[in-house]
Amino acid sequence: MKKILNKTSQILVYRSIRFGYFLLGLGMMLVLWHLLSIPTDGELPGPLQTMTIFFELVLNPFYDLGPNDKGIGNQLLSSLARVGKGFLLGSVIAIPIGMLMGASKLGMNLLNPMVQILRPVSPLAWFPLGLVAFQSAQASTVFVIFITSLWPTLINTAFGVSSIPEDHKNVARAYGFSTFKYVTKVLIPYTLPHIITGLRLSVGIAWMVIVAAEMLSGGVGIGFFVWDSWNALSLERVMSAILIIGLVGFLLDKMFKSLQKRFSYAS
Amino acid sequence: MQVNDLLIETNLVNDIQVKPLSIEIKDVSVKFKSNQGGEYIAIRNIDLNVKQGEIISFIGHSGCGKSTLMNTISGMVKPSTGEVIVNGKKVTGPGPDRGIVFQNYSLLPWLTVYKNIYEAVDSVMKDKSKTEKKKITLKNLEMVNLLAHKDKLPVQLSGGMKQRVAIARAFAINPSVLLLDEPFGALDALTKGSMHVELLKLWNLDNRSKTIIMVTHDIEEAIFLSDRVVVLSNGPAATIKEIVDVNLPRPRNKKDIVSLPEYKSTRERLLNLLMDKFSIEDEGMEYKH
Repeated sequence: MKKILNKTSQILVYRSIRFGYFLLGLGMMLVLWHLLSIPTDGELPGPLQTMTIFFELVLNPFYDLGPNDKGIGNQLLSSLARVGKGFLLGSVIAIPIGMLMGASKLGMNLLNPMVQILRPVSPLAWFPLGLVAFQSAQASTVFVIFITSLWPTLINTAFGVSSIPEDHKNVARAYGFSTFKYVTKVLIPYTLPHIITGLRLSVGIAWMVIVAAEMLSGGVGIGFFVWDSWNALSLERVMSAILIIGLVGFLLDKMFKSLQKRFSYAS
Repeated sequence: MQVNDLLIETNLVNDIQVKPLSIEIKDVSVKFKSNQGGEYIAIRNIDLNVKQGEIISFIGHSGCGKSTLMNTISGMVKPSTGEVIVNGKKVTGPGPDRGIVFQNYSLLPWLTVYKNIYEAVDSVMKDKSKTEKKKITLKNLEMVNLLAHKDKLPVQLSGGMKQRVAIARAFAINPSVLLLDEPFGALDALTKGSMHVELLKLWNLDNRSKTIIMVTHDIEEAIFLSDRVVVLSNGPAATIKEIVDVNLPRPRNKKDIVSLPEYKSTRERLLNLLMDKFSIEDEGMEYKH
């Protein structure tokens, strides 16, 4: 009993120390920010001005006063919806293709050069193609996210499948596993952590790209909100949006990190 | 004295009985393509017949191709020439009549001990009901004393326990031939000793009907377990150097057999066959008297 108490109190101490460091870092950043804002004479808003606007935005997130004046919550949700759609579509395509590339030499030789050439291209370059194909800026944004989400997932899945240890394959061969059993008991359990790593990378990049894509597309969305705030010369809103984008990205990453933890195994 | 006589007698009876051939290896050679485009001959012209219920060890230096030879029986390696016949049928690939215990246990790390065995049973015994397959799995876990650990993951087990799971898995599919690839190589001496006894116990439980082929580089292990020890020459292009019969009575007891003259002579014979380079280092030495 004493030992258990000790352990929980240890964890508590450890956590409060970490939180202390967080506060310290945050404080240092705020001071630096404040100092930087002084010489610009208010052109770069300091933390205090920004916080006022930030809470204004956050406390009333879902108002809708026409196409150019929507709450930050509305903007965020529509961005998240686009990322969700594009990411889902991308993953649904990338995972099977990645598996094909990882499992067959032919698939790898056939597809890998394409992947290597297309992967370094900024996804935004696909935006005009999306406009032509879908005749809609919104759909084109989803298309850009779709392209973004392909590569990390595809490459990690292919790597996962191709690195299945001979030992595991030999078990399947020696005991005559059916294809179904091989896929469900060997391939997927081994590859899943790799796939989730790919998904985690994809969603992270997608969240970065959505801001830029929405600056191009306009309409509703956090990226458009940033651009619109700049046009309205409200850098306080831009700074607030940066904070919010960062927090949401952090939470998305956390989500996938916990998924990763859930599906990894000790060998 | 009486017990001893009896043992020798049963041993004789076993010898006289004509048991059907379990494995026929006919003029088998295995060549691999090397990276430079050339050919590497691992083993060549191997001929060997194994009777049903025999325990045979392949022994030789590392890299001599003993695992390759065993893999031609398991069907994991295709002979370049010649053929291997198991139970009257030519080997074309792995099959459920041959259970394999791999060198490094090869348990699937994401499955529990129970699941590791169950999936193998499920895969091989497709027409059995779920309850039957469950029963077989549990029975085999009990045989290796791991019932209490059935819900653990392999990572939570010691090396000896992992190997017992691997052996239970091989026995669970009830193969007529059991192939063990350096099964106890990674274990400490004490664990190894008890695993030998355990293996023979399982073999006895089955009325000694299973043929066991084992790859090893441990002379004591080979003598204690086998009826015959097949000594391979050094690779590349390894062949059978000699087959040494082990005429020790069964059931064998580790403590007792070491004092038998037959044990000593067999051990000496094997040592001589394997250690012909024994004295090279001595030659270069200068002794000061």
